[in-house]
Amino acid sequence: MKIDRRSFLSFTIGGAAGTALSPLPWKLTDDMAIWTQMWPWTPVPEKGEVTYVKSACTLCPGGCGISVRKVDDRIVKIEGLKGHPVNDGSLCILGLAGAQLLYGPRRVKAPMKKINGKFREVSWEQALDEISKTLADLRSKGEPHTVACIADSDRGTVPELLNRFLRVYGSRNFIRTPSIQDSYELTLNLMQGVRAMAGFDVNNADYVLSFGSGILDGWGSPVHMFKAHSLWREHGGKLIQIEPRLSSTAAKSDSWIPINPGTEGTLALGIAHVMIKESLYDNDFIDNYSTGFHEWKRHIIDGYNPEIVGKVTGVAPSTIVGLASSFARARKPLAVCGRGKGLTPGSLKEFMAVHTLNAMVGNIGKEGGIWAVPEPEYIEWPELEMDQTASIGTQQHRADGAGSSLYPQARYLLNRLPETMNASSTYKLIQVLFVAGANPVYSMPGSADIKEAFEKIPLVVSFSSYMDETAQMADLILPNHTFLERYEDVPAAAGYNRPVINLARPVVEPRFNTMHTGDVIIRLARALGGTIAKALPWESYEACLEEMMGDRWDTLVEEGYWTNTDFAAPQWSEAFETASGKFEFVNKEISSLARYSPVKPEGDEAAYPLILIPFDTMRLWNGYIGDPQFVIKSVPDTVLKKNDVLVEVNPATAKSIGLRDGAYAVLSTPKGKARVKVHFYEGVMPGLVALPRGLGHSAYENNLAGKGINFNELVGPFDDAATGHDAAWGIRAKLAKA
Amino acid sequence: MKHEKAKKFGMVIDLDKCTGCGSCMVACMAENNVPFREDETDKLLSVAWMRVYKLTNGKPFPDADICYLPRPCQHCEGHHGHSPCVSVCPATATDYDTRTGIVSQIYARCFGCRYCMAACPYHVRLFNWYDPVWPDGMEQSLNPDVSVRMRGVVEKCSFCIQRYQMAKDRAYMEGREDIEEEDYQTACTQACPADAITFGDLNNPHHKVHQLARPDHRNGGKPRAKNLFRLLERLGTNPKVYYKSSREWVRNLGDNHDAIQEKA
Amino acid sequence: MDTALIPKGVKRCPLPQFLAGLGAAHVVLLWGVFAMLLCWLKGLNQTNMNNAYGFAMWIWADRAVIALGGGAFFTGFLRYIVGKDKLKYIINYAVLIGFICYSSALLILAIDIGQPLRGWFIFWHANVHSMLTEVAFCLTAYFFVLCVEYLPLVLENRQIDKVPFFHNLTHNMHEIMAVFAATGAFLSFFHQGSLGGVAGVLFGRPFGFREHILIWPFTFFLFTWSAAACGPCFTILITKITEAIARKKLVKDDVIELLAKISGWMMLTYIIAKTIDTIYWAVVTAPSKGLALSHFYTNNALYGYWILILEVVICGWVPALILITDKGRKNQFTLWLAVILAVIGVSLNRWVMVLQVLAVPVMPFIKWVLYFPSWQEVATTILPVAYGVILIMISYRYLPIFPQEAELNPLEPPALPEDEPEAGEEAAQEAEVQEDQKTGEGDLQPAEA
Repeated sequence: MKIDRRSFLSFTIGGAAGTALSPLPWKLTDDMAIWTQMWPWTPVPEKGEVTYVKSACTLCPGGCGISVRKVDDRIVKIEGLKGHPVNDGSLCILGLAGAQLLYGPRRVKAPMKKINGKFREVSWEQALDEISKTLADLRSKGEPHTVACIADSDRGTVPELLNRFLRVYGSRNFIRTPSIQDSYELTLNLMQGVRAMAGFDVNNADYVLSFGSGILDGWGSPVHMFKAHSLWREHGGKLIQIEPRLSSTAAKSDSWIPINPGTEGTLALGIAHVMIKESLYDNDFIDNYSTGFHEWKRHIIDGYNPEIVGKVTGVAPSTIVGLASSFARARKPLAVCGRGKGLTPGSLKEFMAVHTLNAMVGNIGKEGGIWAVPEPEYIEWPELEMDQTASIGTQQHRADGAGSSLYPQARYLLNRLPETMNASSTYKLIQVLFVAGANPVYSMPGSADIKEAFEKIPLVVSFSSYMDETAQMADLILPNHTFLERYEDVPAAAGYNRPVINLARPVVEPRFNTMHTGDVIIRLARALGGTIAKALPWESYEACLEEMMGDRWDTLVEEGYWTNTDFAAPQWSEAFETASGKFEFVNKEISSLARYSPVKPEGDEAAYPLILIPFDTMRLWNGYIGDPQFVIKSVPDTVLKKNDVLVEVNPATAKSIGLRDGAYAVLSTPKGKARVKVHFYEGVMPGLVALPRGLGHSAYENNLAGKGINFNELVGPFDDAATGHDAAWGIRAKLAKA
Repeated sequence: MKHEKAKKFGMVIDLDKCTGCGSCMVACMAENNVPFREDETDKLLSVAWMRVYKLTNGKPFPDADICYLPRPCQHCEGHHGHSPCVSVCPATATDYDTRTGIVSQIYARCFGCRYCMAACPYHVRLFNWYDPVWPDGMEQSLNPDVSVRMRGVVEKCSFCIQRYQMAKDRAYMEGREDIEEEDYQTACTQACPADAITFGDLNNPHHKVHQLARPDHRNGGKPRAKNLFRLLERLGTNPKVYYKSSREWVRNLGDNHDAIQEKA
Repeated sequence: MDTALIPKGVKRCPLPQFLAGLGAAHVVLLWGVFAMLLCWLKGLNQTNMNNAYGFAMWIWADRAVIALGGGAFFTGFLRYIVGKDKLKYIINYAVLIGFICYSSALLILAIDIGQPLRGWFIFWHANVHSMLTEVAFCLTAYFFVLCVEYLPLVLENRQIDKVPFFHNLTHNMHEIMAVFAATGAFLSFFHQGSLGGVAGVLFGRPFGFREHILIWPFTFFLFTWSAAACGPCFTILITKITEAIARKKLVKDDVIELLAKISGWMMLTYIIAKTIDTIYWAVVTAPSKGLALSHFYTNNALYGYWILILEVVICGWVPALILITDKGRKNQFTLWLAVILAVIGVSLNRWVMVLQVLAVPVMPFIKWVLYFPSWQEVATTILPVAYGVILIMISYRYLPIFPQEAELNPLEPPALPEDEPEAGEEAAQEAEVQEDQKTGEGDLQPAEA
């Protein structure tokens, strides 16, 4: 058949018209639109049975109860547990993003061994075998004391199992990561004679004098503090914030008192001076329940009049007088300290200075005051039977020097460890190091020294669930289940004034080939045999936990937490366990400590005219946990822009260096150098550079890795003369045009 | 249920209590399947239904002051439900529900013209510039009650409308006629550690939100309570999110005053 | 080779030359197509738009070309409805330019939307309250009208015209063209107005918002009026450029002057209205929202009072006053100046009503956001320009666009050597390609910056 132009044309036109009239194009159009709604690469979450599981958040020491929303066996949301004494239904930004830690790519999926610098998956048997052999070797060589463990807490069954294991093995080197808990414990111990945690009855306080504590930036138990702050707003409570930078806490305070950084203790003593001068103190407490006041008073009267204090701190003398007056006259005043989130122990004498303010107003153990919360008594370990090796091992000095003649007060001194280790190149101070629930390579000041020290340790074992900086440096990673996959007791809430125990439980089955650290310890003990196996006789960690919880277990399982609502601080007559049985302003031990003087920042003023201070916010986490995706997403662009961190500088200071808002600059300190961007902020004192903590990770997924810089790389620890704890709050710095 | 009184869900956010911690933002992201990308520092490309703004009083040190202002969708009523965005959407992909006062967004209907974004002075409307991608395994934590949005559509805060649906379903199952105040709370309200957000029915005098805001319904919903304000009151958007602040400079930043002679 | 297709009585450059020019335009076109495909496949993250700039260069280009394409409806309106018969000598070109502008606008819209495959929802799920719905319906309908208006021109091609059916069809279509012109004018009135309404109804955006007459904001009328006023200027400009490139007169001066005169008076009335609107907005509307005029023109790096002066005075009053005077229209320099200023003015107006609306911070605690287009946006915006050049080249070569061309340019007696005029044509043709692109881009640039 011959197709001429005409028939071709009519065929084409006719065909087109026919197709257009048929349902085909309309159906296709519709299908296409439907297709755009279900692109195969866009996930569709499956429906299922919804359940809520009560559990505990372990991501910070805050001790919140959580309610985990599940759809079938998936966790879709973490919410605060209603009725929980600490957080009552609310939850902080990190806890809310907790599911991202369970499902995110930072997980370590199986035991790993580093071979030629690269991690290879190994079996649990092989990994445990290897460790137990090394441990057995060291014991046979009589060097059990060269085994150490770093953990984020020393309370609760898991840290205590670790500690118990070390002891019975023959080492005293259980090291808790530093925080203000160190200083508060010592303060209570020295002045009140108790071994306790500091708890603050913030809900009932009506005048809170905060010496740089980031009450609304993650200090203590964050959610609990936030709720207390809201109560103050409702009931007219006052918050006075003393710090050199307008933090979120300062912004929410009723009065922000900018102060020369590092001189907070001086101001506290200046306030004490005025209170003494004007007799603004609780006579009953001072006269009947304290000793050493008059001796201490003389020293304060001589050295801390408002003029002198004003010069040192930069706070006007009239303001100091005003603060003393309003603090002392408040119905329920409370003074707190520990900068930012409270991750640096700080100067002990500063804590004691602030604590004397509490003593002077007689708020110790009172409503709205500071409470000594006893260590949880529920964990009662069976008597420890030590063999000879262990006995000899545990008589050796601690590797970190805590409790030594130089620093007799300190219990743990992780900050001192790198210096000690790096000083001697041959002596093997630590041969095996376990790290549990901590990321010291990232979170300790002086990152370079920490790394150097870690490299010297022949076997570093990380229990981290995540591939963090410390895990990256480990030789073996024995990944723990995440907090959503495991049982664990959380025996306290930081800064909360009543005993509370939370129970984290396996909300979902472990996703990967991970093992509970408690089980790892029990298995290692079993493998080592002898007294060690005897000391940890449980079938499994769960069995151990259940036994330890005793009759609380059922409540914990049912409610998710246990608390002693009847708990009340003891009367003053019974509260103090010092030699005098009273609160001691001065005693032999206190007098033996170095005198208070403001900690000077490291560095030469001529070379480094500015001072670099860190700051903490709820949106950046700098302890064991690094920001999950949602949390880093919430960080504003005035803090992080692409991979650059912005440092806050007062415009006057920046202009004097010739730096414009948003310009690149080089920030250098005696410890290091970094490229940063400048952010003009009128809320920071001239002469300072403020850098957020929690950035500059080299580990984790790209949402966090490589973003900004780690403050700890620019600063080193500064030993508190009294305790050896890190008391550095900043460092001298220089900012120059890039 | 036929003669059910129209509800008007709204919020009062107490800026004196808000600490700018960001819990509301993350609670919202987790509840509503908001995606994330490796770099979220370009806030103009970032999808976050709830955004916390940092307000400054513009004074130099040491008189500088800041205040945080969480900004969900304001669920404007405009005049008779003509909110700025609803009336402009050419495909009826967004709707003002007169029974709840909620401005909804139908993702499957939206074809991404972004006219609504141009219309909204609060920048609550966000476009999916990128395909949402969840790293392998992370899609497990997606909430099945909220659909995942595809590239090329606009999304925004819905006052967690799925929670309203579930609350109604639950009430129906339990044979209750209406839902209780606490049955329906948004994710941000629930999460807020400072209890700064109060959510409920502005039409219901028993609800806390009504008592706090005391909206003057005859006067475009203006708050009668002291120290309360709404963002950009003068535009006539008639929003349902009320803010409370004891600081005058904060209240002043709630609207433009360039050309208005303020009454003493 | 293609002489059989070229209209009788006119001279065109040799085919290879033509193809070379066409090829050059296609390179630009392909660049644009590549960018377009990137936008479709990878999504709008290829642009520099963001959540502050939901609308940006494309929507500006869209409104600008529709305004400039307004010459088609208004010239048609004058020719068929008002009865300005003289305009039949330029109406073909006006229709062609309008056709290019409107098809470009539709293409840009198809790239601009986030879900192009759901684009038809605007018809299917139409929201009658939305200005954009009105735009979409009228725009699409008017595009069909333009097709109908353009079709007889295509059919007038020498070879097609030989087919009796097409010849008769053309004839009959010419007969009823007045109906289409009227329809086109009606539709245009609405969609031009709706485009103006797009910004004018945004009561959340005080820079764009205007008081209403019934349901329409002032901008509704201003947009229609300015398109009617400046569209013909664009027709004149393109005609003048084509003439300059072809180095021959294509349309008689009196035709141009008539169109220019009408355009001039339209512009004058428009700019009076625009001035009143601006003053009313500055003194009454914006202050009622708490905003002083200075809020819109200070505290940012780009948008100053200069933009207002440039748009209203230099590109509004000046061309209007030139075009209403006989001298101004007759003097080639001032005529060129006036039409160029008018084109810039209307483009600038569209820019301001799209981008400045979004740049101005409304919440007191946020800052101005400025924007610079990505190369993908630039390429896709130039794409229609290249496409327009191609369509003009082909139409000019094969269709009797300019009825007066043969009369104005009688063919040289065959005695003369053939190379010479052809060489001239060659250069002209080549230059046309470049020139057209340049002017196309030139139109965009002032506003783009």
